[in-house]
Amino acid sequence: MKPLNQCEQCTVHKESTFIKYGINMSRYDYLVALAGNPNTGKSTVFNNLTGLKQHTGNWPGKTVTRAEGAFSYRDKKFKIVDLPGTYSLLTMSTDEEIARDFLLFGKPDVTVVVVDATRIERNLNLVLQILEITDHVVICLNLIDEAKRHNLEIDVLQLSRDIGVPVVPTAARHKKGMETLMQSIYDVATGAYQCKPKRLKNISPKASRAIENLTKQLNDIFPHLHNARWIAMRLLEGDQRIINAIRSGELGTIHQEETTQEKLKSYGYETV
Amino acid sequence: METMIHSLTALSISILIIGMLIIVFFPEKGILARWNRTRKNTERILIEDALKHIYDCEYNDTDCTLHSIAGNLAISGDRTAKLTEKLMIHGLIESHTGYITLTDAGRSYALRVIRLHRLWERYLADQTGVDENDWHSEAEIKEHAISPDEETAIAAQLGNPLTDPHGDPIPSSSGTVMKQHETPICKLKKGEYGRIVHIEDEPPAIYSQLVALGLHPGMQVRIIDQNDERLTIEADGNECILAPLFAGHIHITPIHHTKDVQHNFQPLSSLEEGEEAQVVAISRKIRGQQRRRLMDLGLVPGTSVTAVMKSVGNDPVAYKIRGALIALRNSQTNGIFIERKEEKQNETTKSM
Amino acid sequence: MDTKQFNEKEDILTNATRYREEIGENFYDTMLESIYSEAATIAKKSVRQRDDKRIYTLDRTIDRIVTSKVYGFPIMVGLLAVVFWITIVGSNLPSDMLYILLVETLHPALKGVASTIGFPWWLDGLLIDGAYLSVAWVVSVMLPPMAIFFPLFTLLEDFGYLPRVAFNMDSLFRKAGAHGKQALTMSMGFGCNAAGVISTRVIDSPRERIIAILTNNFSLCNGRWPILILISTIFIGSLVPAHIAGLVSAMAVVSVALLGIVLSIVLSWFLSHTILKGEASTFSLELPPYRPPRILRTLYTSLIDRTIFVLWRAILFATPAGLVIWLVANISIGDASLADHFIRFADPFGLFIGLNGIILLAFIIAIPANEIIIPTILMLTVTTLGMHEVGAGTGVMFELDSVSATASIFHTGGWTLLTGINLMLFSLIHNPCSTTLYTIYKETGSMKWTALAAVIPLTLGIAVCFFVAQIWRLFLGG
Repeated sequence: MKPLNQCEQCTVHKESTFIKYGINMSRYDYLVALAGNPNTGKSTVFNNLTGLKQHTGNWPGKTVTRAEGAFSYRDKKFKIVDLPGTYSLLTMSTDEEIARDFLLFGKPDVTVVVVDATRIERNLNLVLQILEITDHVVICLNLIDEAKRHNLEIDVLQLSRDIGVPVVPTAARHKKGMETLMQSIYDVATGAYQCKPKRLKNISPKASRAIENLTKQLNDIFPHLHNARWIAMRLLEGDQRIINAIRSGELGTIHQEETTQEKLKSYGYETV
Repeated sequence: METMIHSLTALSISILIIGMLIIVFFPEKGILARWNRTRKNTERILIEDALKHIYDCEYNDTDCTLHSIAGNLAISGDRTAKLTEKLMIHGLIESHTGYITLTDAGRSYALRVIRLHRLWERYLADQTGVDENDWHSEAEIKEHAISPDEETAIAAQLGNPLTDPHGDPIPSSSGTVMKQHETPICKLKKGEYGRIVHIEDEPPAIYSQLVALGLHPGMQVRIIDQNDERLTIEADGNECILAPLFAGHIHITPIHHTKDVQHNFQPLSSLEEGEEAQVVAISRKIRGQQRRRLMDLGLVPGTSVTAVMKSVGNDPVAYKIRGALIALRNSQTNGIFIERKEEKQNETTKSM
Repeated sequence: MDTKQFNEKEDILTNATRYREEIGENFYDTMLESIYSEAATIAKKSVRQRDDKRIYTLDRTIDRIVTSKVYGFPIMVGLLAVVFWITIVGSNLPSDMLYILLVETLHPALKGVASTIGFPWWLDGLLIDGAYLSVAWVVSVMLPPMAIFFPLFTLLEDFGYLPRVAFNMDSLFRKAGAHGKQALTMSMGFGCNAAGVISTRVIDSPRERIIAILTNNFSLCNGRWPILILISTIFIGSLVPAHIAGLVSAMAVVSVALLGIVLSIVLSWFLSHTILKGEASTFSLELPPYRPPRILRTLYTSLIDRTIFVLWRAILFATPAGLVIWLVANISIGDASLADHFIRFADPFGLFIGLNGIILLAFIIAIPANEIIIPTILMLTVTTLGMHEVGAGTGVMFELDSVSATASIFHTGGWTLLTGINLMLFSLIHNPCSTTLYTIYKETGSMKWTALAAVIPLTLGIAVCFFVAQIWRLFLGG
């Protein structure tokens, strides 16, 4: 009786997740999330991928509501969700909560992080945080034309090796590099490219020990969780959303290996 | 002519009405505000304040009597007697030969009120711009008015904080209190370093003096001189003199390793246009969301910062931080400590 | 099984709390430091800056000019004036052409078709004189200025100028106890207040965000500035010789817009010293590098995204409003129509504050969308004065192809220069439209703030009109 009961609960959870994010996955193969710092040309990348014509502007925080679109590449259809631009995922602001919750509970198959090529160091803050949450990341190194204008030389291969995920230089304003970006998204989604994301080191010894112990404990209870380390860090931050998710068991249903078919079914859709 | 008289009357009547509205609604001194203040002393508030007082007595190991309750709540002896009777009927307190102690139920009630008080102080400090001197008094009112749902929401929003902005532990929702590892500042010897972890916020008269001296938890202090009359300390680079009475309100943890000692206390706001410097620390005075925002922008120890241009009135100033141009107000950059580039070079050449 | 799992979960949480107590609340600092040291290591390996920093120098040069202590503000006001002037001058001709097409040609044609088919008089009136004409009016009057204003504004936005405005104005906002980014949300409000309210999400601290929301209404939105343009052309422009009339009217519109900015700063100051007490707190504003605007692309997106969107909204609200106006003007109780009853009732108060009953009724009908204030006023004026020869019939929303014809209606309706000025002021200072109010409710989740957002400007507007009217009468008579 019990397993059945538990499974019912899972479905309820997923449906509520689905309703909350309002995403109709019935006609798509993969879910792609678009994240990035404010004013990195995220909206422009989104428009180019989807062919939509959302208004873009040159000031940070222009896009405040979430946008959705879709695109096809080769034989697959991708649903893409534009998350609010954030500098970080660690604070308690509404925008960051939306982005954080989506990455954690909305389970995108691929997360594209748009990075401003002229300010890589600062943008890496968000990238490194996202890599703690999910492995399946593609870096869209946007504004590469501006970087050239500013005489910045960027070794893309080196960057990709260091971060452990594909890095695609683009100039979205001039529609450059979009094809390669789609190819990379496709590769990561289908598993043709295996990401080996960089994980954080150099956290103070006291904190590291706490993180290690909590991670171990989390893995014991939730064997399918593959970002337990990040969850542990959130617990050390006192994140109530995570505490609730642990209590309710919502956390346990994340990241179980599912095929898209199963995922669609769990969203309450008959797959055709 | 007629319209002139007409409009003159209308104007004077309206000015009269505005004047009256101001008298009624004026903040703090208006009739409405005064009336609101007198309304506050309701029964429940008295009960909660009495419980808090008894808890404080237990915590500080002092005796609690009818007399001390009457004094603390500023009410008559008669009223106090009635109040304690009620508390006993509800099973919140017990009386042993004139000394009053809390029952378990009473203690957990008191802890909840204290939790709400400290949580709200923390909220005011982290999320609002309310003046430091008003935190305590505002929390004194708010602690009686927060519902359990609001409590959860506030705690979640603040990331379940452990301490209030004065360094007092916030009791957990289940009523446990974190142990503090702190020593009074007087225990430090001359020349030794420590970090302020707790400043006692009662009585307000003393606390506001300490605030006026610019002291706050998280500051690095060093004892310059110590004698019976006064304690001279250096707090975040500024010298200040404390009477022993005041010093008793400050608690610290000693800093043992010399590598943890910070030597530069020049604020970022002192940087002139075109100058470059390195961040050494962010003052603990910058709290909550504000602190996180600054760090998210890349302002962490070790970051190079250049002042690029100043706005009208020299505030805000735009800085080049990790490749981005970011404008910050002086009130924030006053709390960011830097080390100027040339000083650093001088140091290295000296050490060579 | 369940209890065991429950215990395990609680165990984790207890452990976490224990570790937190041990580490203290510096964990965030520690983590950010380690993230950035990692980031610096990675960036150092793959990014190299070649010495030439010419572009940065160009950026700094532009910055030095537009944020200059001397020229910063004049440049700001000047740019605003130029944008309005181009809009006013440029939209005249297309407006006339659209009017001729939609109102003078298509409207009679439709009436003809209706009578051929044999529509009853009320259906014909409701649909063609009510709904169709209101839409036709909105399109012909609003489309041209929007199609000019939005792209111009978007160009400034694309270039990266707006954050510099915020940088310049921050010291003012700081003194008012508000957030520097309020300048950004205010600029968004110049397009649409609902959008401006949503954009206040860029402000982190709740207190300052509420201030920004409550004061956003003082940014003239696109629904209101056509009113200002028309009224200032009629009442202000006519005071000066024809060749500078356009410029003077534009300056009048700019002054009202600036008054709005001043009011929002004053109100911010007032709020942060009363119900939203507190010091100005966190502020960080990124000044992005200038980017050469791509003109064609901007034209395209601002046309599709903003112009069509706003126009569609206007049409959506104008259609039912047209129906309502036609109905209140044609349903009679006793001796007069509903509209007449209300106007007679409201006239004394309206005149007392330098407006009139018709204007007040128009502002009530236009609560869903400010865009329809002017056509409502015109239509109501014509009906109550029995000027049937001007319009096509009772309750017809219409536009007159020449400004002077509109002016003659206003003058016949007993309007003076004072009425014109007060209408301009009241257009700036009155309750936000229902869409904005709904947005405020959604964003704040509080009835209290929503109600305040409506009551504060409405009271202030009535007070301002009252004082202007009384002082005007005191010194200038009638």
